[in-house]
Amino acid sequence: MVLRSPLYENQVKLGAKFTEFAGFEMPIQYSSIRDEHFAVRKKVGLFDVTHMSNVWITGPDAASLISLTTVEDASRVEDGKSQYTEILRQNGTIIDDTIFMHLGDRFMMIPNAGMNQIVTKWLTEQAKKHHLKAKVEDVSRDYVILAIQGPSSKDTLQKLTDTDLDAVKFFGCEEVKVAGVECILSHTGYTGELGYELQITPTKKATTVFDAIFTAGAEFGIQPIGLGARDTLRLEKAFMLAGNEFEGGRTPLEATLGWTIYWDHEFIGKEALLKQKEQGTFQRMTCLECVEKGIPRHKCGIQKDGADVGIVTSGTLSPCLNVGIAMGYVAPDKREMGSFLDIIVRDKPIKTKVIKPPFVPKDWAQKQEAIVP
Amino acid sequence: MTHDVRDGLKYTKTHEWVKLAGTKAKIGITDHAQHELTDIVFVELPTVGKDVKKGEELCVVESVKSVSEVYAPISGKVIAVNTTLDDSPEIVNAKPYDDGWLVEIEVKDKAEVNLLLDAAAYKKL
Repeated sequence: MVLRSPLYENQVKLGAKFTEFAGFEMPIQYSSIRDEHFAVRKKVGLFDVTHMSNVWITGPDAASLISLTTVEDASRVEDGKSQYTEILRQNGTIIDDTIFMHLGDRFMMIPNAGMNQIVTKWLTEQAKKHHLKAKVEDVSRDYVILAIQGPSSKDTLQKLTDTDLDAVKFFGCEEVKVAGVECILSHTGYTGELGYELQITPTKKATTVFDAIFTAGAEFGIQPIGLGARDTLRLEKAFMLAGNEFEGGRTPLEATLGWTIYWDHEFIGKEALLKQKEQGTFQRMTCLECVEKGIPRHKCGIQKDGADVGIVTSGTLSPCLNVGIAMGYVAPDKREMGSFLDIIVRDKPIKTKVIKPPFVPKDWAQKQEAIVP
Repeated sequence: MTHDVRDGLKYTKTHEWVKLAGTKAKIGITDHAQHELTDIVFVELPTVGKDVKKGEELCVVESVKSVSEVYAPISGKVIAVNTTLDDSPEIVNAKPYDDGWLVEIEVKDKAEVNLLLDAAAYKKL
């Protein structure tokens, strides 16, 4: 069965073209990927990301359960804060990357699209196994998730809420009213721009918020954004897409997410990570920018001097840079910054340069405007 | 078909067009095809002199998200490619039937051209 967002009819009216993603029929684009991409970099865009999952974790041991099952110690995460982390298997590979929000005495976790049942089951099993008093509840279908992203996102949203958005810090989260509808707001996103995400329940109230955001954002040039631009926007910032970057089982160390690991606590997969860290011979996520024409794609091979050294997990043309960009796993001794590697596109090598992420720096559009007279 | 279909051209079911002039034929993709692809960002053209067979991959057109093969509607030898697309692939979006042509070939068998769809038949797809 293919699922649809409760906002499907709204998307049709806005002229969406649809695609199937993780069991959902979601908009791939409205006007065009490039056009939507620049709308988010320069103005503001609204995404329906209801395909993402919502899981409530409650009970006296809720924080302990999150600490056990992720690389973060949840007791460090203050009330009103959200945290990016990963859920690992015993062997250290990533089941899913996620954000959890600390909302008073409960936590809401946002697993990826299609991961709600897997994550819920895993957490429930671990709670039972470790005798933790925590309840894990998959409420994915009870929520619509909207993401409002871009330089004018704050000004747009501020028109619809009495909550002072300046007081909501980056990765802050709280329960607020937007257009009169109760939402969970977090100062987070997947575009690298100023932005917010809203969790809305019951879903029938989402249309009110959706419409109100478009009305409020009209003066800033707001546009609806599909999954196509969502992918190019995140790729320019070298953000991971679980289905691509963790495919086949990758650890946070391989994915260069070591910075997210709070080592000073016990968690599932820790032992395996310590072992891998000591060995040090694993492939690592590497960002490659094309210096020749060509567009790298998922599963293209990476070579150095004709020898295989890795594989591309995500690739696209960067709308901002107008060159091909790729993320992929490369052998540890073949990924020196500034060195050159070939990506094999249709049997032909395309020369690329190893760069330090992100591909597109913060506030890129504003800097562009400063250069262009 | 709601998109532009030009009279006088021949078409394939896979949305290529052929414009015959003597023994030479220009080949491109239709307005419908460019519309479906949106934002063409890269065109990989064949080398001049290459022999192509009807139905074989002629070139590759890439949008931001997708990679699409363009198939040779007829057989022949590639005698010219539209090199302006190297720097301005978006021309295929803007003018798919004119400046956005892809390849010119020396036609091997004119009978193959006659087997293609005319504008009226293509419109009905």
